[in-house]
Amino acid sequence: MKLKNVISTAAAVVALSASGVLASDLTVVSWGGGYTASQQKAYGEPWEAKSGKKIHWENYNGGLGEVRTQVESGNVTWDVVDLLPDQIRTGCDEGLFVELPDDILIPTADGKSMDEDLMVPRPNKCAVPQIWWSYQAFYNDGTFEGEQPDTIMDFFDVEKFPGKRGVHTWANAILEMALFADGVAKEDIYATLETEEGADRAFAKLDTIKDHVVFWSSGAKPLELVSSGEVSMSLAYNGRVGGANLNDGTNFVSIWHGQVLEEEWLGIVTGSKNMEAALDFAAFASSPTAQAEQARWINYGPMRTSALNIISAGEPWFNTGVEVLPHMPNRDEVMGDSIVADPDWWADNGDELQERYAAWMGQ
Amino acid sequence: MTDTSLQSNNAPMMTADGIPLKKSLQMSLRREKLRAFGLVAGPALFILILFVWPIYTLFLKSIDDNLVNDVLPRTMAIYEQWDGQDLPDEEHYEAMFLDLTTAEKLQIGKVSTRMNYAKSGWKSLIKKSNRKFKKLDPNQPLKAQMIDAEKRWGDIEFWLSLGIMKDRVTAGYYWNAVDRTYDSKKNVIMQPENRQVYVMFWKRTLLVSTIVTIACLILAYPVAYLLATLPLRTSNLLMICVLMPFWTSLLVRIVAWMIMLQQQGVLNDSLVGLGIISDDNRLPLMYNFNGTIIVMTQVLLPFMILPLYSVMRGIPPTYMRAAQNLGATPTRAFIRVYMPQTIPGIGAGVILVFIVAIGYFITPELVGGKDGQMIGNQIAYHLRKSLNWGLASAMGVILLVAILTLYWVYDKIVGIDNMRLG
Repeated sequence: MKLKNVISTAAAVVALSASGVLASDLTVVSWGGGYTASQQKAYGEPWEAKSGKKIHWENYNGGLGEVRTQVESGNVTWDVVDLLPDQIRTGCDEGLFVELPDDILIPTADGKSMDEDLMVPRPNKCAVPQIWWSYQAFYNDGTFEGEQPDTIMDFFDVEKFPGKRGVHTWANAILEMALFADGVAKEDIYATLETEEGADRAFAKLDTIKDHVVFWSSGAKPLELVSSGEVSMSLAYNGRVGGANLNDGTNFVSIWHGQVLEEEWLGIVTGSKNMEAALDFAAFASSPTAQAEQARWINYGPMRTSALNIISAGEPWFNTGVEVLPHMPNRDEVMGDSIVADPDWWADNGDELQERYAAWMGQ
Repeated sequence: MTDTSLQSNNAPMMTADGIPLKKSLQMSLRREKLRAFGLVAGPALFILILFVWPIYTLFLKSIDDNLVNDVLPRTMAIYEQWDGQDLPDEEHYEAMFLDLTTAEKLQIGKVSTRMNYAKSGWKSLIKKSNRKFKKLDPNQPLKAQMIDAEKRWGDIEFWLSLGIMKDRVTAGYYWNAVDRTYDSKKNVIMQPENRQVYVMFWKRTLLVSTIVTIACLILAYPVAYLLATLPLRTSNLLMICVLMPFWTSLLVRIVAWMIMLQQQGVLNDSLVGLGIISDDNRLPLMYNFNGTIIVMTQVLLPFMILPLYSVMRGIPPTYMRAAQNLGATPTRAFIRVYMPQTIPGIGAGVILVFIVAIGYFITPELVGGKDGQMIGNQIAYHLRKSLNWGLASAMGVILLVAILTLYWVYDKIVGIDNMRLG
């Protein structure tokens, strides 16, 4: 009798705690920090209010390892994932994400379909748009006397602008920047990089800063490196730099010249147990208003033209009452000197270049 | 009468409730066995599910190369007939066309990822071809049409690279893990020089683990000696000093070291303030090889101190006194009498620290910078980012074999019975 009691109590506890996990109706996985916060405020909370469902937010560190494990084992606990361009491509090809029906996607107010509204085409039917972000160089105001750096050439010029340089530990963006700084026209960058001589040229350019490099691998690190004076200039995600200026009153200066723009997409994991909610959420989160709303909280650029229009009509748009467009990576004034990353090219040539980059780092 | 008695002799003996005795005995024995089995079933299952099974699948992953044969059966079936001199004939193109147009879309995605490891470019070639192949006319010769649709089908390198994947079991990932690769004839060749990374990482991993182990031993020995010989009250306090960092979160300790050691950090600031080094020559102690060594040594120190301490506690102080009574100087007595008795502790500590260090990942990731990364970081990269699980598995297996070899060598030289963890 007693044992039975114990067992039934234990069963009840297990059931309760299990239902505690399941109390959320949708699990959304993103990168954490200010970025996730902007997603929560812009469309997470409104969607919860609209649907009466609860979102469980989780953080991850990129890569498809977890998603692949979940799908292959059939134990899918993630529903919606925030994805880098290469991830959405590989993931959709391998069936890790589901293809979305066109009719759920929300058109603009004047009836343009999402695909017409997008500034960059969807890579496949698995993706709904999130944001544009960029790798850019930046420094702390007051670091240099006299002339200030304002091009990517200056980043690679340690004679003119002395001090160490913060660089990330993978090959994306830095190779494009190296070639751009070496005088390759931005349209020719990938064609150049694909040849043996082109890659040699990029790495030769990297060699010029080699003895001055401090490597980072997490997004918060470059800000710390620059503010502590550990490095004089660093590459970073533009939202981190702008976010610190907008929210914390730091005086970082962004170098927009030679920035490398990357896409960010949302995808729904194959076998999601909350498919209906996930579809509804994905559509809601990629609507023009949701995209515009997100720019109130972070300076990543919306991918839909209509969202940019909403923002420029509503400036000052940022939640603190300042203009956000001057901090956007995809505004017209800076697009001329910006490199748009080519994820398809990286999908082909990435393995080889990442290895070469790792070899370069280790030398 | 005789009949019945015979019968009763032949008939099995019964228990009180009418079951044959033999059967009843068997049943009770089986129950015993089941109970015993039930008791070990838990741990056995635990070991099976958490150790044996994952290691087995890890091993399978590292040699498995079924994908290409499964998804492109026609192409691979006739692949051997091709001499590899000029572009293959029409029938090879036709097989490839049929394979790619009939395979499941998801399988194609997977196989193109696999093929891209063998030759960069496969991924987009297959993806683009898939779109364009719909427009081709299967009744006309396909070779010209395919090359026309995607000119890379006319590049012999792609066809040659298929040879690398023609067997269902491959050692390729193991060769990749030591900077070697297959050519199209499956001869092992070196990777191009600028892609040779892993041997360097293996060497560095061994170097870091060795340095950290030695540093730990040098630092831990006197501490453990103090702990074991001081009066209980003082040694308890000292023990807390050893255990406190052990209980503190790893990340907290690493961040503390960052604050201490970075170029604008506490240590460098103090040295500059005291005029020992100039402002331009701040020591690079963080985000490089030095950082990895310093932080890993501190993190792993308790793993050395604790086994040493427990062994030293068991050494009666009378031995030292006896040695000195017999005329040995304190140093000589220490070296000849005390130290040999601590060898089981040294062995345990060294093996423990070295094995933990060799697979270390988080510390090098955070403080290693460019020249302090280890093989563990590469495994993590291939698991999470590049999704080359075959290569990651192969590196994992190599690491495991290295540790087992080490264990075996230790057993041969010192004897595993001599190891004492406490």
